[in-house]
Formats: sequence, structure tokens, C-alpha cells
Amino acid sequence: MVTLDLAQIPVRDANEALRAAAARGEDIEIVNPDARHHLGVGLVAPVTVKIRGSAGYFCAGLSHGARFEIESNVGWGVGDSLYAGSVVVGGNASAIAGVALRGGEIVIKGNTGSRAGQVMKAGTLLCCGNASFLAGYMMYGGRIIILGDSGERVGEDMSGGAIYVGGKVQSFGADAKLGEMTPEEDADIRAFLNKYGIAFEGEFQKIVNAGTKLRYGVNEPIARPLPYTVAEGTYWNAKVAEDIHAKAMIGRYRIRGYGAAKTVPHFNDIALKIDPERIQAASDALASVNLKTKLGDRSGAKPLELSMPVLIAPMSYGALSKSTKIALARASKLAGVVENTGEGGMLPEQRAEAGQLIYQCLSGRLGWNIHDMLKADCLEIYISQGAKPGLGGQLMAKKVTKELAAVRGIPEGIDLRSPSRHPDIMGADDLVIKVEEFREATGYKKPISIKMGAGRVRDDIKIAYKDGFDFVQLDGMQGSTGAASTEVLENMGIPTLAAIQEALDGLKEIDAGDDMPIVFMGGVKDGVDAVKALALGASAVAMGTAALIAGGCISCMQCHVGNCVVGIATQDPEHEERYKIDVQAKAIARYLEAVRWQIATLTKALGYTDFRQLSRKDLVALTPEAAAITGLPYDPDYFPVEHLLTEVA
Amino acid sequence: MTCKPFSVDLSQDESGLPHYQPPPCQVACPIGTDVASYVGLIWDGKMPEALEAITATNPLSGVCGYVCDAPCEPACRRASSDGAVAIRALKRHVLDKLGHDYRLAPVRPDKAKKVAIIGAGPAGLTAAQDIALAGYHVDLYEAHSKPGGMALWGIPDFRLPQDVVQDDIDRVLSRCPGIALHLDSPLGDKVKLDELRETHDAVLLAIGASGGKKLGVSGDDGAHVIDGVTFLNRINGGERPILPKKVVVIGGGDVAMDACRAALRLPGVEKVIVAYRRGPDEIPARAHELQAAKAEGVEILYNIAPVALEDKNGGVAIKCKKTALGAPGADGRRAFSLVEGSDFDLDCGLVIAAVGQKSVSLELAQHGLMDGDKIFTRASDMGTRLPNVFAAGDAAFGSSTLVQAMFQGHKAAYYVLAALEGVAHPAPYRTPYRTRNVPVAQDPLWEKLAPKHAPFLGLDNSDPFGPAEADYDDKTAHEQAARCYRCDTETGSSDYSVKARESIFALARPEAGPVDFAAATRAKLAKRPDPQLAGPATFDELVFLPANLTRLVIDPYREACKSATVLAGMKLAQPLLVAGFEDAPETIAAAVARTVAETGTAYLGRRPLPGLGAPWLQIIDGAEAADPYANAVLLRVREAAVLPEARPGQLRGLIATAATLEAALACALAEKADLVVLDGSGHLGDAWADLAGAPDLSLLPRAVDILRAAGQEEAFPLVWFGGLRSGSDLAKMLALGANAGVVDVASGLAAGGAIAPHGLDFAAADAEEAGPRLAAYLKAATSECSMMARCCGKTNVHNLEPEDLRTLSLRAQAALGIVMAGRKKIA
Repeated sequence: MVTLDLAQIPVRDANEALRAAAARGEDIEIVNPDARHHLGVGLVAPVTVKIRGSAGYFCAGLSHGARFEIESNVGWGVGDSLYAGSVVVGGNASAIAGVALRGGEIVIKGNTGSRAGQVMKAGTLLCCGNASFLAGYMMYGGRIIILGDSGERVGEDMSGGAIYVGGKVQSFGADAKLGEMTPEEDADIRAFLNKYGIAFEGEFQKIVNAGTKLRYGVNEPIARPLPYTVAEGTYWNAKVAEDIHAKAMIGRYRIRGYGAAKTVPHFNDIALKIDPERIQAASDALASVNLKTKLGDRSGAKPLELSMPVLIAPMSYGALSKSTKIALARASKLAGVVENTGEGGMLPEQRAEAGQLIYQCLSGRLGWNIHDMLKADCLEIYISQGAKPGLGGQLMAKKVTKELAAVRGIPEGIDLRSPSRHPDIMGADDLVIKVEEFREATGYKKPISIKMGAGRVRDDIKIAYKDGFDFVQLDGMQGSTGAASTEVLENMGIPTLAAIQEALDGLKEIDAGDDMPIVFMGGVKDGVDAVKALALGASAVAMGTAALIAGGCISCMQCHVGNCVVGIATQDPEHEERYKIDVQAKAIARYLEAVRWQIATLTKALGYTDFRQLSRKDLVALTPEAAAITGLPYDPDYFPVEHLLTEVA
Repeated sequence: MTCKPFSVDLSQDESGLPHYQPPPCQVACPIGTDVASYVGLIWDGKMPEALEAITATNPLSGVCGYVCDAPCEPACRRASSDGAVAIRALKRHVLDKLGHDYRLAPVRPDKAKKVAIIGAGPAGLTAAQDIALAGYHVDLYEAHSKPGGMALWGIPDFRLPQDVVQDDIDRVLSRCPGIALHLDSPLGDKVKLDELRETHDAVLLAIGASGGKKLGVSGDDGAHVIDGVTFLNRINGGERPILPKKVVVIGGGDVAMDACRAALRLPGVEKVIVAYRRGPDEIPARAHELQAAKAEGVEILYNIAPVALEDKNGGVAIKCKKTALGAPGADGRRAFSLVEGSDFDLDCGLVIAAVGQKSVSLELAQHGLMDGDKIFTRASDMGTRLPNVFAAGDAAFGSSTLVQAMFQGHKAAYYVLAALEGVAHPAPYRTPYRTRNVPVAQDPLWEKLAPKHAPFLGLDNSDPFGPAEADYDDKTAHEQAARCYRCDTETGSSDYSVKARESIFALARPEAGPVDFAAATRAKLAKRPDPQLAGPATFDELVFLPANLTRLVIDPYREACKSATVLAGMKLAQPLLVAGFEDAPETIAAAVARTVAETGTAYLGRRPLPGLGAPWLQIIDGAEAADPYANAVLLRVREAAVLPEARPGQLRGLIATAATLEAALACALAEKADLVVLDGSGHLGDAWADLAGAPDLSLLPRAVDILRAAGQEEAFPLVWFGGLRSGSDLAKMLALGANAGVVDVASGLAAGGAIAPHGLDFAAADAEEAGPRLAAYLKAATSECSMMARCCGKTNVHNLEPEDLRTLSLRAQAALGIVMAGRKKIA
């Protein structure tokens, strides 16, 4: 038994000592805990941890196999994403006890706060006292046992699992109903109570999902998009008519893949001050221009090492087929860049193929677990994305297969609509604590980034900076997705150019210097776009759709249907078979090499030896809009030869 | 369908248009067939239009439907997914549907000059059509008794019935009355080159390569050896000789395939073997033909070369050696060497040598035009050693495919026409790429439908030379056409446009290197026009700012966002009223009236809808027109306005347009109006006023400014009319200060109307469906409006504010007073 005194050492040291002791198989006692946050997070050894007093936020979070005993109370998020093991709390638990529980057992002897078991997937959460409102909010599986009363809207939008209430139920949540209780279930609950020595004689009411909201009622008719040019010129055009007709059939917003389809100010509206004729095929720029860069060492973590300032944008296994994720991972390794898991959790094949992998944590905590966190090279908190900021992920039932549901820890065959916000991030201060939890759980070794869609970027970026993120991935409204409301795609968020401008402005306003890199994405299609973004001030760019197109996507924008004709945006085995991993991985890798060639050649043609030397001086705006947004000089008649002449003179 | 039916007009090349990208199938086709368009037209059942697209570049449309080697199919992008689109078989379906006697309108000659063309094969016919369609007279001389060249004489009937060839030629002749066909007129016999040069302005030699090459080994001129072309010519001439039991075909090309399958169909034959000197990966025959031969029982032996032929037991022994393959040579084909000690005999009764063809003409040789077994021809202008004598086809460049011969026919015609028209240095010929801009097939199964070959009939002993392949039925043709990706069409995304997609594809190609990267980069750096279209600012130039870190998002799937609306005491379920329908058919108007009531909204119009059980806001031009039954009267303000006396409980309001805004608001304030409708269209009160097009959005911020200046912002609710299409448009107007909006044309479209020259046409609308459809649309629009509010962190649509918006254009910024995205303030 090792005793750690939190009156003597900080939490970070305590957690390190805890891990060291656990690795030796020793049990641990923590004294003077003083309700500190993150106690025991990320512990993955079957030892016993006794906390003599109260713990703060996320106690025992992200752990696997340990037995936690907390004498007194816990703060919110006890047992966050617990994989296996047990947590016994002698007193009360604050909000979101057992949030995103993936297995194991949590026993709260006292009362629990609101939203107990939010987005839990498996395991048992027992509350011996009363539970506050929204217990079982959006739970996907597992069971919650409440011996006392449950507050308002219990089981709100749960899609799986069961809630057993021994006391009074104040009200049912949306899409929750009373279910049939079998004697076996009852016996099983009582056995569980006996195991923890808890006496209870009363009867249970069982609350389950009513199944009225798991699927969209009406399927949208499949229609290939009309050319975008149809919408130009006439106000009441065929595209508008088609849209209204479709809505008149289905009675709800429409869904499609890809990003904003309308024309918005973009990279094409700014020009590099370079003579196209200087772009020589026989360029030796690759050898003479430095493109290497690092991301993520702002707080001392091991940074991502990039062979060029390009990343693969986050895209989920789910939106994309497993084969596509493998091809992207392989290509990213070949090109020496970084792959990203997106929302759907980490695939073992993807981890094996990718050289460096960013692991995304989303609101639904789908597929989120400590083991994959430890395998990742960087952790990323997703707040929103350019295609649908303000909304959670959407994955239509056709794609929610058995295998995919297992990786994500959710029921099969539902129209999955992820929550729009994290259960434990209500604002900037919560975010700080969340970042801290991840750092504690992984020993401060991994960079932690934030992914945001572009909204009030000037303000949002300051919070990201102050919350200590190692870098930011910022996504303009042209960023694509596998499925989103068409109206949100076209109308929510600002263009990538504007996002770059606001982000840099915002950081300048707080004199942030350049210690927090920003990766921009949203319609970056090649090395030319990349160079423009870098010259505007991006630290790197990420490419998603362009990489998919290089790997065979034909831009039919039917990603949401799930029958992807080329086997990319599908989970149907017959369609996935059409995607040849090796062929497409090589195609994507070749495309990335072409991008590298372009960045190097353009950098050299502008007279530089390092991409960091690119600056706004290398750019002019070709439209009044691009000039207004970026503040670049407006020069629609910019003619490169004149520039060369002045340069020579 | 405005394409001129004349393929050699290079100005018809549309590949450089901003939204046109010739798809891979079209690029792979030597004659640039507009495949995507005709496949789209087949899906749509428009066969005459499909034939127009095919025949514009291909006079042998019927023939190609049967036997084209279809280089388009391996190029098809779907080939790497679940199989190429069956382009050739679909082409066949077009003429099978239209019938053999289908004819195109004639194009009569209108010019005096004359051209002589020798050889009515694919190259000669193609050139003849091009030249005739340009208005010139053509004398087309054919050595044989029937036209068609190799298409007729070289391809056996089971693959290509002879009447298909004849139909195509008849179609060309009826379309081009300027072509005079002279049969049984071989060059050097009835027709002399010198005379033709006297009587015609140009001569085109397209005599083909109909002499079979010999094997080039000892004994290759023996009695049991025949060359492939001669063999096929005789079979196609109607001969059905009894052959020995065992026949060996030497060669691996399409002639070998036709010969082996023809031999198999002849009496006496029990076994047919094809011996090819390279391996299965090198064999030049089309996979389709090879499969068919194998399916019919032909045995293929690879890596075998004959070294001598010897008579043996009344038959022949082929002395063979095995071959070993080496590295690819200059022609891209792998070299082979004979393996010492691998000798063996292949015994048979007949050897068919299908190892290539040559062109033979004593007449041309006498004129010094021959270069070995070909006519000396410059690829740069298809000219020969004699001025104004041109050559094309197999005779000029060696044996090739049908479609290559047609390409040469087009190319030769181009230079012949240049010569006729006195153009000394015509631009180098290139295959023009054109499009008919056919809409994409809206087939819900397009991603799923599997490729289906045309039914293979194989060898039928009761009719051995009957067709070996059948046509699709209509349903199969429709489904197969639906499979086309339509790589030719613009995508639905301005950002990932067809050009952007193709540029990425190009960078990712296996053969792409620095030269291609440089070209792509230069193209991307080239100057481009400002994409903004002329006109007023529209809703599309406004976006919302989502909540992220600085504001908390509302869960739009689950949390309630209120949309109930109160307009001067009038309670509505959503901030969306309905207008229009006054001229709609009675049944539609009645259905709309029920829906307006059921959805808890109100109706705006001059007259109430029949049986309307919901609030009616009457539009009037003068106080005297006010109807006491109306829940509100809305006066269209012209100049000085006096609001009508209202009955108790009746609301009084005004309609203001851009022209009347100041006067209207002054009046509204003075008379204490209950509400004001801002008419961005300027036509509210006329039928389907929304059809005026993009509304003047600046009206709303102007109104808000005037009221704010007067300190009267809350004096009355503002209702927006003009251009509302979706809930997002509505949400933008709510954010700018409106309390509700009115849908006019959008509601008409939802109820089943179609936009016609003078309003909405409900002829095709179903009155039963009109109500539910409108209700569904209103529900969708309201949910969209709520979704915008929730993404902005609002729980009530009426809480949207101007600060939730950004503009994307300077004109929108100026019109609306909303700062542009990326900027801190309006400069």
C-alpha cells in the first residue's frame, strides 16, 4: 500500500505516483484529497485506490480495471468513460456521474446530480439516493439503477439500455417509456445490490427507449444534385423548386454530404504574386525548400512531426468505410503527414497503418476510451466543424452497422444524431478542466488540440488560446461532411478566408504571438491553396475532401445515403468492396506528393527557402470581397510580369 | 440539342468551357463521341435524340453498337468500382429501338466542288459524310458489289448482321444526297486515279487493307493455309465450305477471334485452336471477344510460335516452338524469343493465318504512292505524295479498329475541306468534344445497379451464323444507363466543381509527374473572372454565426426552440404566413385554406381562400375596399394614405415598398397602425408577386432605422414579404428585425404548382396532395428556422439578432448594414 498525501504533492505528481505504484501492483491510499480534480484518471491497472475524503471532477475517469473507493463525495463526471473496474462513492456525486460509461460499475451511496449516465454505453451506474433531472440523458446502453426518486425527464432521448427506478419518477423524458421488467432482470439487480451490501426491498419501474425518435420518419427521396450553376441567374430556379418539392414531401430539413455548395469568397479570389511562367517542371525546389514543421509542443508534449505543413482532415470511420480510413492512414504515412480519427473512434487497422494519428473526442464520446488515447499521437477535442457548426455528427441508419455500432458502443441501425455539445463542456472554464483531465490521463505527453467550425472566430480563438490548447484546427464553412442539413451547410458559419483573418486578428488583440499554431481547413484543394493559406498566416492546412477525391470520390454529394458508388462513404460490404485500398492509398499518396511539389515550387518561385517565409506580401486580392475580408490590396488586374519587372528594377 | 451535325468543325469543341470537362469515355473515343449525353438520353427514353448524339460523329452507329472495340469502356470511371457502363450495348439499343428504317433529315449539297473517295469502308464513309454535310458533292467508289469495307467483309454475321451495315450506309446516303455511290468500281480497273484528279477537286484514298499477310515461315503458301481476311471475306460472301475437323488459327487479334468463331460454325469442324505467340496478358483481342470465343469452345494456346508448316497425312503439321517473353520493346509490346528444345507439332486440317493485313494497289504503286504495303501518308495533313490526293484508314496507317478508321475519316475530311476552301495552313486537327448538356439520370438506384452484359447467345447450331449477342430489353437499358456517373456534368458544388475535381484527379494519376504538376499549378495561378453575379444582394450572401466556445449551443435535435408568434394580438403557431393562390384552381385553394387553418397560420390576399377557417389579412388599394370579415386590412400605400376605419377587433396595417417606405411608416406611426408588411418584391397584391425575383432586402434595415430614429421600434410588428424560399431565409429576416414572413411562390411550389410564364401552373398538381404537401413544407421551413436559431444558441426564433449575421459580399454589407465575415466593422 502506497500512501499519497495531496497536502504535500500536486495532483500531477500524485497521478504519476499512482500509475507507478499501480504498475508495480501496489494498492494506493490518497489522504487529504481536498476534492481535487482528476484523481486517478487514466489508471489502467487492477489495483485498489482508497480516497480518504472527497474527490473533485472526473475522479476515476478514463480508467480501466481499478477499484476506487471514495469515502465521501465526488464532483462531476465521476467515472468518466470508465472502461472496466469499479468506483464506490460513500457520499453524494455531482452532475454527470458515470458520463460516457463504457463498462464497469459505479456505486453512489448518496444522491446524484443531474444527467447521471449521460451518453453511457455499457456498465452499471447505481445511485442509492435520489437522482436529479435528466438521468440517463441520451444513454446508448448499460443500466442505471436509482433506489430513490428520479427527477424530471428521466431517460430523455435514450436510445438503448435501461433505467430502473425504485422510488418515484417525477417525469419521463422525450422518447422514454415504461418497459416490461423480467424476473431475471430483477434478480440480477438484486444480486448487484447484494454484492455491494446494499439493502433494498422495494419494487422497480423500468424505463426504456420508446423508439419514436430513433429514425427519421420519412426517407428523403434520393436525388443526384443539380449542377450548382442551375442556381445562378434566376431567382426561382430549378434548384429552388426541387428543394421546395422535396421538403413538401418529407416535412423536414434535407440532408446531404459535402460542404457549402454556393460560391463564397475563397482562395481562388486571391492571387499569389508569382509569374505562372516561373513554375518550372524541372524545379529542384523539393531539395532546396524546407517544408518540415512540428505541431503541439506549446506545453511541452511530444509534438507531431510533419514532413510538410499538411494534415489529413478529421473524417470518421462511419461517415467513411473502413477501407477508406485504412487508405488515408497508409497514404498519410507514405507522405509523412498526420491522419485523424474523426468522430467514430480508432480502428486498430488505422492505428497500425498511420504513422501519426490524432484521436478525436466528441460530444457523444463514441468509441472514446483510455486505451486508444494512449495509442494516439495527439488528442483532439471537437467542438464543431465548418460544415455544421452548432450541430453534432449525423450518421444515417444505413451506415450504423453491427461492426460500426460495436466500435462506437451504440445500438445498431439508428439514425445517429450526436449531441451538439459535450456533456462536460458548458463553457470555456469547463474546457480547461477537460483538457487538464486528458493531460493527467496521458501523463502530459500528448499534444491536445481543438477542432472548431468557424463562427465567432475572433472571440473563440482567444478562449482556445487561454485554455491552453497546443494547436487549433479551424474549419471554414466550405468544410465538408458525410451528412448535414443542407440549410446549415449553406448558411451557418463563415468562409475559410474570413476564419483565417479573424483568428489571426483575435490572437493579435491579446498579443498571443505565434506560440499557438492554427491549422486551417475547409476547401483547401491543392498546394496552391495551401500556399495562399500559409501566406495568410496558417501554420498548416488540412485536406479532407480533396484527399477523398484523389482516392476516387466523384463529388456526387450522396455521402449520406450510404450506397457510395465508389465505396468511400458507405458501410455496405458490397459497395465497400469497390474501393481498392492499395490502389487508392497510392493515389492519395501521389496526390500528397503533388501538393508537396506545389508548395515547395511556389515557395521557391517566390524566392524563399522555407515555407514560413511566405507572407501576406506575396498575395493580392482579385475581388473586392476577398480584399475586404483579408485586408489584402485589391488588384483585379494584377499581372505577374509587371511584378517581375519591378523586382528586376 | 443545338449541335450542328458536323464533327470536323473544331469550333464545336466545348472542352474549354468553364463548366465542361470532357469525360474519360469521350476522351478515350477516337472520334470524341458524346457518350455521357447519349447514355443520359437513353435513360430518359429519348432515342431519336440519343441517335443524333451518336451519329453526329459516327456514321456507322448501328455497326458500332454491335462491334465497336469500345475504348470508352475501359476508360469509364465506374470500371474500377463495380464495372464499366455498358456503353456499346447501350448504343446498340438505340437503333434496335428506333428500327432499321429510321432515317435522319437530308442535308443537300449547296456547293459545286466535288470530291472522289475511293473505298466505301468506315474511313471512306465517314469522310464522305463529313464532306457531304459541308455541302460538297462526293463520288464514293467501292471495288466490291456492296459497300461497307471491313465492317461488311471482315466481320462475320454472328457478330454483325450484314443488314446492320447496309442500314447504316442507307442512312448515310439518305441523309447525304450529295454522295453518289459507285459499286463494283475498283481502283485501277474502272476507276483511274489520273482521271479522278481531273474530274474532282480532291481525291481521298481509303482503300483499306484487305490483303492478308503470310506467316513468313516455310510452307506458309501451302494448300492447307489461308489468311484470316480472305477466309472471312469468303464466309461473309456467303460461302459455307466443309472444313477439316481440326482448325488452327494463328494470331491473337480481333481477326483471329472472328476467324476462329466463324470456323467453329462451319460444317465438319470439331475443334478450333487459337495459337498466340505471347501470353494472356498481352493478347490484343478485346476481352469481350476472347470471352465469347472461349465460351463457344475455342481453345486458346499461349506462348506458341510456328516455325514451319509441313504437309502431313492430308493435313498440315505446324512445327511450333514455345516462346519466352522479355522486356517491352519500342512499341510497348514485350519481345519474345523462341525457347530452344521446346519443339512440338500441332497437327490440323487447316491453318488460318490471322497475323495482319496489308494494302495492295498496283494503280497506286504505279503512281509512286505506296510505301511498302501502305500508302505513304503524312499524319500532319493526311496528304500523299500527290497534291490534293489524301489517304486515310487502314491503307494509310495499317490495320486498326473501326473507330480509329472513322477518326482518320474525320481527320482526312477536315484537311480535304481545308483544301477545298483554300485554307493553306489549317489548325492541326483535334477531335472536337461536345456536350448536349443532358440532365443527370435521377435514378434512386444508380449507385446500386450492377453491370449487366447484353445477353450472350453463343453458338446456336440450328442457325450458326445468327447473332451471338442479343439486345437489352428496355428495362435493362434504362437501368444500365442509370449507372453512368455522368463525369461530364457540373457537380452540385461550386467549391468542388467539376474542374476542381478533375484537377485533383490529374494530380493523383499514376503517370503524373513534374510536368503535369507544373501545368496544373500554372492553370491554377491563371487569372480568373470575379464569380459574383450582377444583381441585388440576396439571402445567399448572409450567413449565421454559430455558437461555439463563446456561446453555448442548444441541442437542435432535442431541445425545444420556440417559434410561436404573436402579431398584434393574432396568435400564430409559427412566424410564417401564406400568400398567393388567388388565381389557383378552386380545389387547390380550398385545400390550402384547410392547411392554413390546420397549421395555425394566416393567409394574406385580396380575397379570402374558399372556406378559410384561419385569420385572413386582406390586401386593399383603398379604404373603401376593406372587408369587415377580414381579420386585418392591409393598405397598399401609394402616396398619402389614410387607413380605413376598422370594425372593432379588426387590425389595420400598411404595405410598404422600397418606393413608399418613408411615407408608409410615417402614416403607420401617425395612424397607430397595428402592423406593417414590408414588401421587398414591390408587387404584393399582384398574383404571385414573388415571381418578381430577388427582393430588395435593404427595405427591412431601412425600416428598422427609421423606426429606431423615431424611437418607435416596438410600435408595431414588421412582416416580411419577398423571396422567402426556406426557413433559413426566414430566420435571416427575423434576425434583421422582422416578426414574421410570408411565403408566396414557395408555398405555391410546395402545393404542387410549377412556374409558368405568367404565374404558377397547377395543371399537374394533385388537389388531394396539395394540403399535406404545403403543411409539410411549412413544418420543414419552421424547423429550419428553429435550427438556425439553436445553432446560434437561441431557444426562441424571435431572439435572433442582427449580430447573429454576417454578410459575404460588399453589396450585402451595404444593403443590410451587417458587417462582412472576417471584418470588424463596416469600412
